[in-house]
Amino acid sequence: MIEEVLPDIAESDLEAFFQITHTIYGYDFRDYARASVLRRLGTILKKYGLPDVKALNQRLLKQKEFFETFLSEFTIGTTELFRDPSAWVALRKQALPLFLSTSQIRIWHAGTSTGEEVLSLAILLTEMGLYPRAQIFATDIDQKALQTAPKARYPLRYKRTYQENFQQVLPRVPFSRYAYEEGNELVFDPQLLRNVRFLRHNLVSDEPFSRFEMILCRNVLIYFTPELQDRVIRKFIQALVPGGILMIGTKESLFWCKEAEKKLASVNNLERIYRRQG
Amino acid sequence: MSARPYLWVIGGSAGSFTPLRQALLQVPYDPELTLVLCLHRLRQARFEITNAFLRIKSWRVAEPDDKTPIEGGCIYIAPADYHLLIEKEGYFSLSVEEPVHFSRPSIDVTMFSVIQAGWPRAGGILLSGANKDGAHGLFKMYQAGYFTAVQDPADAEVPHMPNAAIALFTPHLRFLISDLPALLVQKPIPPK
Repeated sequence: MIEEVLPDIAESDLEAFFQITHTIYGYDFRDYARASVLRRLGTILKKYGLPDVKALNQRLLKQKEFFETFLSEFTIGTTELFRDPSAWVALRKQALPLFLSTSQIRIWHAGTSTGEEVLSLAILLTEMGLYPRAQIFATDIDQKALQTAPKARYPLRYKRTYQENFQQVLPRVPFSRYAYEEGNELVFDPQLLRNVRFLRHNLVSDEPFSRFEMILCRNVLIYFTPELQDRVIRKFIQALVPGGILMIGTKESLFWCKEAEKKLASVNNLERIYRRQG
Repeated sequence: MSARPYLWVIGGSAGSFTPLRQALLQVPYDPELTLVLCLHRLRQARFEITNAFLRIKSWRVAEPDDKTPIEGGCIYIAPADYHLLIEKEGYFSLSVEEPVHFSRPSIDVTMFSVIQAGWPRAGGILLSGANKDGAHGLFKMYQAGYFTAVQDPADAEVPHMPNAAIALFTPHLRFLISDLPALLVQKPIPPK
């Protein structure tokens, strides 16, 4: 049972935290939405038995190897196979058919976490006969997640949700075509990942990749301030070829990005799928 | 951004939807007031609760997107399967962090965010419900000087949630659901 904690975080300690993570480790969390930052820090303090952010800062300063563990806790990796099935149905019906005759489909999945959405995408592409032409770059800030994703193995207790989602998106396809049980794990066909490259990438500071037919970035932007959302969405627009597709989380919006108004047209507004104009 | 509206954060689960909806139908529109409803709901029921609340006259009823500015005269409903957080800059943030008390949205999470945002004028209300999510959040709101109220457990269809709060502290008010409209029209300012 997870209990919520309300830590008392001094502004000066928070400032020091931003300094340390930025100058020593190269991660700038200043433009992360504050409420979530405070919540994550509270959770981490509790988990590692640290009395306050000052103590966390000390640990980050003294113990370099702790940073990866910290980063994994700090970033939120919640994901599932076909999370929000209706969004994937919309992608399948309204977006992917745009690439039926495209010779190469370059896709950037930003914030891939433990890989379930890359598998979702790979399954849809396979079902449509598009997979051989697809090249997927799956990126995340969290190294630990990137170690998990390529294995395509998940705790068996996830099976029910994953299969239910799958059946909603692909009602006529047997789940067993792509996944099977092995011990207490749910294992996906490794062939689904043959055109996928997993890479570490920081949306905030790293240069974006370019020339993509499609970019998926779902439930990553919610952790950013409006200003940072604007910056990242502009990077995405730049990285898309004309006619390329951008898909964000179903409760995320382009509200704070002026450029999106000019450059992106809606493909499915409810499911937050857009297409770069011109 | 305009002046921060008065904010009632209302939490509830089992046994709270229908009486809450009935009560809201009787609350006259107030452009300075904002109601934030954090109700436990099934993740699959993406829009059903919101649709049920949509026909409340003159208020704008919405499931906020991430970073939606918080405006007066609105009833906001926490979207299914997201935590709803209030930012001091005057907009909502959403999060898919782990459920709290098996709940996402969690009432504790929303209430804590009000405190951390230092929202100037807010109050917390807990209604009928089957678990103790919200009790701790309401207690912390109380400690931070916000007005707090719980539905009288004897009046609640499922008394567990208000009881859990009462076990932690004595809220400013225990009310009958029939008095909720009268409570909501009052601006949430804690008694000194």
